[in-house]
Amino acid sequence: MSTREPRPSPESSALISAHGLRKSYGRTEALRGASLELREGEILAVAGASGSGKSTLLHCLSGIVRPDEGVVTYGGEQLGLLPEGRLGELRRSDFGVVFQFGQLIPELTALDNVAMPLLLAGMRRGPAQQQAGEWLERFGVRGQAELRPGEMSGGQSQRVALARALVTGPRVVFADEPTGALDTLAGEQVMTALVHTARESATAVLLITHDAQVAAYADREVVMSDGVLRSGSDDVVGQEAARREG
Amino acid sequence: MKADIRIAWILARGSERREWWRASLTLIGALLATGSALAAVTVAAVSGQVSLPYAHGLLDRPGERAGVVFTLVLLLVPVLGFLGQCARIGAVHRYRRMAGLRLAGASPGQVRRIAAAESAIACLAGSSAGLALFLGLLALTGHTPRPVAWAGLVAVVVAVPVAAALVSALALRHVVAAPLEYARRTVPSAGRRAALGFLIAATSIALSALLLLFPVGRRVTPPVLLVLALVLLTGAGAIWAAGASAAFIGRTLTRRARRPAVLIAASRLAHDPWAAARTHAALLLVTVVAVGFVGVRAVLLDTLTDSARPMSLAFYTTGIDLAGSAVLVALAISACALAVGTAESLATRRRGLAAQAAAGVPHRVLAEAVLLETALPLAPALLLAGLGGTVVYVGYAMIVVTASVPLLPLLVPVAVLVLCLLAAATSLPLLRRAVNPAELRFT
Repeated sequence: MSTREPRPSPESSALISAHGLRKSYGRTEALRGASLELREGEILAVAGASGSGKSTLLHCLSGIVRPDEGVVTYGGEQLGLLPEGRLGELRRSDFGVVFQFGQLIPELTALDNVAMPLLLAGMRRGPAQQQAGEWLERFGVRGQAELRPGEMSGGQSQRVALARALVTGPRVVFADEPTGALDTLAGEQVMTALVHTARESATAVLLITHDAQVAAYADREVVMSDGVLRSGSDDVVGQEAARREG
Repeated sequence: MKADIRIAWILARGSERREWWRASLTLIGALLATGSALAAVTVAAVSGQVSLPYAHGLLDRPGERAGVVFTLVLLLVPVLGFLGQCARIGAVHRYRRMAGLRLAGASPGQVRRIAAAESAIACLAGSSAGLALFLGLLALTGHTPRPVAWAGLVAVVVAVPVAAALVSALALRHVVAAPLEYARRTVPSAGRRAALGFLIAATSIALSALLLLFPVGRRVTPPVLLVLALVLLTGAGAIWAAGASAAFIGRTLTRRARRPAVLIAASRLAHDPWAAARTHAALLLVTVVAVGFVGVRAVLLDTLTDSARPMSLAFYTTGIDLAGSAVLVALAISACALAVGTAESLATRRRGLAAQAAAGVPHRVLAEAVLLETALPLAPALLLAGLGGTVVYVGYAMIVVTASVPLLPLLVPVAVLVLCLLAAATSLPLLRRAVNPAELRFT
């Protein structure tokens, strides 16, 4: 596991801020007034038990879903007020999204999967593939460029997904349990690659996890519990589990 | 058996909404299949020269009746294809469920019986409804079939669900043999079935040839076997051609695509070209028949009008229109099968689609890819099918030495392509639901 690097100074400007987010799915209240700030270049872990509302928070912050109440601000724009087209544009250009699995197109090769956001941005296929190849190289999966997701290991797929999320040079990467389906070694490889690249490019990362070891890669940790964010500690998940059991 | 049926019922009740779609569409397919088969049996049971008060005398003579029976039996081909397509709705999910049952300790026989019960119940309901409607129609027309026909009617009503049960049990053979594989992942369809069809057809043709050369007894009818073998060969050939051309187009365009939607569609075609091969093959065969039919109809009517025999014109037009109705029904059923297949494909990969949309892939690109998956392999294939049909009717026009060759049939492939795109487009609302971020909440 990597050692923690210095946190951004408290004066760093907020890249994304959320205030009083509420979101319900039917009778289930996933978010109950969550507030959060993600600073430029910061790696922030949101830890918490399953069903605590972590993924919903990520979906709201990245504009995938609109909160029922509350405000999410990015670059001076309120995401809730933006039309769907502009939100999609933001997710293609400024945000990168990584899920536990399922984000790669199963029929495309790793190279074409990574090239896809560039093609969507209007780049020609040749240069897009060249750039995608460089990102695969950076994540150590250049040798898998011609393989399809079903032909790769989970760790390789996740590194391809990271390359895809970062290929457009986003300002923020939203990672929802990126190592949730991986073994310890593959998880470490994925996290090391993510953290290293994010530091190098000063990309902010919002990391959703229920794994204390993964959360330890972050500069700052917060704990989500029953739809509300609480301040973090060194063993956030363990404490949360103990609190629930107690 | 009672326990198996109970489990099948519990599984069906606990299933997603598409299971009910599958049951409903299977019921409709069984109803149509039963209707066609009952009509064929009833007409076939009439013997000798009769005088029936409908169809302008088309059913009066044995020769024309045989043609009507043949048309109704041919109509069963797309109907059964549609039924097969309905059975594939939710197949991935269902196969996983059955694999799960096997892993939980169910015997191969139990799994087969449960799967058979799921299909057979819907088919039995459909065939019973078909029988009820048919009897109602008979009562309205005042026609009472001969006693021998009743046995045939009962046989049809029983045969449809039994056949569905057997096909369902047969389709599960890989799940039964290797449940773990199905519980973990999907297995792309392969072209082996088309090759098997080829093999059976070739064997049948060889057998027919042998029987023609060395007749054994009087009951053997090699021409019938030969016709069936040729139909099978044509079907298998069309499926193989559809799958192989989709693979070629997919591979070629994957290398050359510049636009995201084309790349996604072409890659899907290259990855699993056999997924829609049966439906596409049915559409191609129907197009050949439709182009040929429209052309032959125009030439025939032209010739009949010129021969100035107005008394017999109604007789001919009734027969032609009956055949035309059969072609239209076959086209509609094939288009429905295409719509069902497209919707099923979207439903199967909705979580991946939701992830794509969440990552910023525009809905427009995904929708375009869905339509291109239909258009890319079908456009050139329909052009060829149109040429095939043109050869048929131009050949006929040359035989009857008509003055003009109609051009209207050339529009048929274009109309079929538009119909196919419309059929595929019916699944676009489902795509909009599939890319709903709520899908990301479920694994």
